[in-house]
This record gives sequence, C-alpha cells and structure tokens, in this order.
Amino acid sequence: MGKTTATASIGAALAAEGKRVAVVDMDIGLRNLDVVMGLENRIVFNVVDAVKGKCKIQQAAIKDRRIENLYLIPASQSDNKNVLIPEDMVRFGEKIRLEFDYVLMDCPAGIERGFENSVAAADEAVVICMPEVSSVRDADRVIGLLYARDITPKLVVNRIIPDMVARGEMLSHEDIVDVLSIDLLGLVPMDDHVVISTNTGMPLIMQKDSKAGKAFRRIAMRLNGNSDIPIEIPQGQGRFWKRIGTKFGLGK
Amino acid sequence: METTDQNNAVDAPVRLKGMGDGLCVSLDPDQPSDFIRSELVRLFQPLKHLAINARVVLDFGESEGDDALVDELGAFLKETFGVGSVNKSAKRRTASEDLLRQRDMDRSWHHYRSDVLMLTGRVRSGQKVTARRHLLLLGDVNPGGEVVSGGDILIMGSLAGTAIAGQPEGSDAIVLALDFRPTQIQIGPVVAAGLPPSRQGFPEYAHMEGGNIVVENYMEANPFGRMPWPEVR
Ligand SMILES: Nc1ncnc2c1ncn2[C@@H]1O[C@H](COP(=O)(O)OP(=O)(O)OP(=O)(O)O)[C@@H](O)[C@H]1O
Ligand SMILES: [Mg+2]
Repeated sequence: MGKTTATASIGAALAAEGKRVAVVDMDIGLRNLDVVMGLENRIVFNVVDAVKGKCKIQQAAIKDRRIENLYLIPASQSDNKNVLIPEDMVRFGEKIRLEFDYVLMDCPAGIERGFENSVAAADEAVVICMPEVSSVRDADRVIGLLYARDITPKLVVNRIIPDMVARGEMLSHEDIVDVLSIDLLGLVPMDDHVVISTNTGMPLIMQKDSKAGKAFRRIAMRLNGNSDIPIEIPQGQGRFWKRIGTKFGLGK
Repeated sequence: METTDQNNAVDAPVRLKGMGDGLCVSLDPDQPSDFIRSELVRLFQPLKHLAINARVVLDFGESEGDDALVDELGAFLKETFGVGSVNKSAKRRTASEDLLRQRDMDRSWHHYRSDVLMLTGRVRSGQKVTARRHLLLLGDVNPGGEVVSGGDILIMGSLAGTAIAGQPEGSDAIVLALDFRPTQIQIGPVVAAGLPPSRQGFPEYAHMEGGNIVVENYMEANPFGRMPWPEVR
C-alpha cells in the first residue's frame, strides 16, 4: 500500500515545515521504517522499550540525519506484536504527545493486534490505498473499523499510474472515493524515486524532481491545517498537474 | 373483528365470522361434505336464535366452489338453523373484503404495523447488517459488505456487496437496489452468484421465479403496481 513510505515522507515533510515530529514504527517484528529512513544502524532502544518504560522516550527517539526536528522510534525486531496491548499504547500516547507536535504511527498490515495497538493511541488516521480492487476492499474494511472506534479517517491514494487510469486499465481516484466515501487527502503517483529514496536514505521529499515527494509534501501541508491547498491529479506523459477543487471527496 | 378461539382457529378448515348484519362462513369446498356439515353444526349451534333469518355468505377463498354445494349447504343451514339467505361470496371482492377495505380507508392504515429496519449510511467491507424482517437502507452496500433480512431488502443506493433476503424460507422476498450490481444474491435458500453486470441507470430487483433467481428492471416489471389494494408486507 505504501504505509511505511507515507509515514516516512509525511513525517519528513511536517518536520521540514518546522514541526517537531516523531514517526513510530508499530510493525513490531517486521521493522522497516528505520531502513526506509536510513537510520537502521543507530538503533539502541525501540518502541517496546519505550512503551514498557525500560527507557525514556527521548532515549528511543533517533534523530534524523538530514531533517531537523524529525525523530524515529523504531520497532523492535525480536518481539512479537502481542507484547504490547492497547492499554499500554493509550498510556504511551498520553506521554509522547507532550513531546511532539505530530506523532505518526506506521501501522502494520492486517487488522490484528498491531492495528489495535496503533489505533488505541490515535486521534486521527490516514488510510493509504492503491488503485486496485483488493486494496480498496481492504481499505474499506479498515475504514469501517476506524469509524467503529470513532475515528474519521482520511484517504491517500498511492501508486497511481496516470496513463493506465487514462486507458481505463486502473481504477481512477473517483472510483475509489465513490466506494470509500471519506475525505481525500491526496493522490500520489507511482514514482521510481520511492525506491531510490529507500536505497539511498535520501528522503523522498528532498528529491527535487520526485512527483511522489511533492504529493507527500502537499499531503503534509493539508494535514497541517492548510486544507485549502487543492488536490492535484497525477498526469501522465510529462503533462503537468491538473487542478481540481479542494472540496474533492468532501461530504460524500 | 375476527373472533378467534379454539373453535374458530385461523387455520381451521371451516370458520365463521360476523360481518355487518350477516354471517360469513369461510370453508374449503374440497373437504368432504359430511365433514363440512358437522363443522357447520359445531359453529352454528352456539349462535341459537342469532342464526335465525341471518344472511349467510359462503366464502370459498381461492377455490371456485360449485353452485350445487352452495345449494346443498344452503338447504342444510336453512333447515337446521333457520337462516334467512345463503349466497356464495363474490369471487374477487368478497363482502368481507369490502369491510376490510372500508376499515383501511377509515383508519388510513394506522391499524397496521410492519417490521422494517430502516437505516441510513454505508455498509462497508467486512460489515454485516441483519434485519429481523424487512431492511430499507438509504445508502450503499460496498463490495465485501453484507445485508441479511427475514423479508425484503431495499437499497436506495448502490448494492455492490452481498444481499441475503427472506431468511430462512421466504422465497417471495425481493432484493431491490437503485444501482443493482451485487456480488451475490440469496433469496430464501436459493443462491445466485456471478450475476451478469447490471445495465445500470435504473433500479433493478431480484426475485424468485420457478425456483430460480431472476433480475428485472423494477420499473418495467412493476411487480406490485397491479395489486388492487395496498397491502401490508
Ligand atoms: N508511490 C510509489 N511509487 C513507487 N513505489 C512505491 C510507491 N509507494 C510505495 N512504493 C513501493 O511499494 C512497496 C511497499 O511500500 P511500503 O513498504 O511503504 O508499504 P507498506 O504498506 O508499509 O507495506 P507493509 O504492509 O509490508 O508494511 C515498497 O517497495 C515501496 O518502495
Ligand atoms: Mg510497512
């Protein structure tokens, strides 16, 4: 789906706007946010240590190499997701929210304990969906579970291939918003820079000609209260972004 | 209006009810005539003088009922209980139906209740809504969502998930949607999957016909439009 990519990029973009940001890898046992951010060799403590009180939050938070005010709290690799329970996370949430402007949790795939733990402490949620029928189905399920916990999620459609959408070979974001009917936060195109970023540790949003990076920056700005920034629809064939109204997907 | 005691149970083969200034006898003409006579005796005996000169209407329900039977039973009732006249009820609209319709008009159908669960919103993937009887949803059912009912299912929106109507046995149930493109339909015990894609743009509905599930344009088929009188479903 791109949850980890989105967490790293939106976190970086919010920090670049001057916010104090923590990104937390909740994918316990399968950590990879540290790799995506190029911080894997600095890990001493992890989120399980911080939640269980074995270390202070500041000790578990790794400062990013390139972006000021961006911190990673990595997952633990050795534990099982069940070492944490939602109640632990609620308490952890109370503490960590005092130290950062934004705390982004990278939710693991699935709707089991890892999801429960992430949601327990969350005020808001962003659902990442790919333009594929099965992905839309999964997103819909997750949206239902979020609403059941009184969280109103927002939607990011990731890995859009504009030419395929134009040829009718890929679901358009309109089709997706029709089914999911939640507020659209942004549209992110398929972009090779994502892989380059993961492999070099250079944040996506700092790569000059990354369309995905730009899209994530705009998503971050919208999350940060600039809701009047228009949603841009990825265009193929070197054409530029097309503007549409900001009301997109609202009130549906 | 209908007096129901153990002598006059709703499913009894011969039943008696007061009707204005007369009496209405509902019976199944296919029962043996001896049996019908003994039932009439059982029902008329307690009426004593009330039966004298009474107008009696014989209601054969759905069956035709031949005139010979009317004459035979008429003679029997006049002789035994001194009733006034004995006639067969008009086939399509019985005298009792007249009364029922009059009552519907007078009370503007307020005396009826129907078990409908009316909801607004969207049934998402993995969610399941179950209605005891009918389900009316102002909203949509997404792929992977499921709606289940004991009666009909009416979706005022798009139905892209699964609809299971008439559970467990109600094969007269319908599934209607303004935008009808379900993944699966079940009516009573019959399942239909892999339905051809809807023509879209108009409401369609699924119903049972000869043991199969059939999908039709609802406005064209107009399945209830020719009913003579509004009925509770
Ligand atoms: N916009 C994009 N363009 C190109 N590749 C992308 C894009 N978004 C994500 N990817 C690639 O898709 C893969 C999955 O992305 P990511 O790890 O962010 O997903 P995830 O939802 O976190 O997955 P998981 O459920 O396994 O944790 C990665 O290889 C990533 O590089
Ligand atoms: Mg991930």
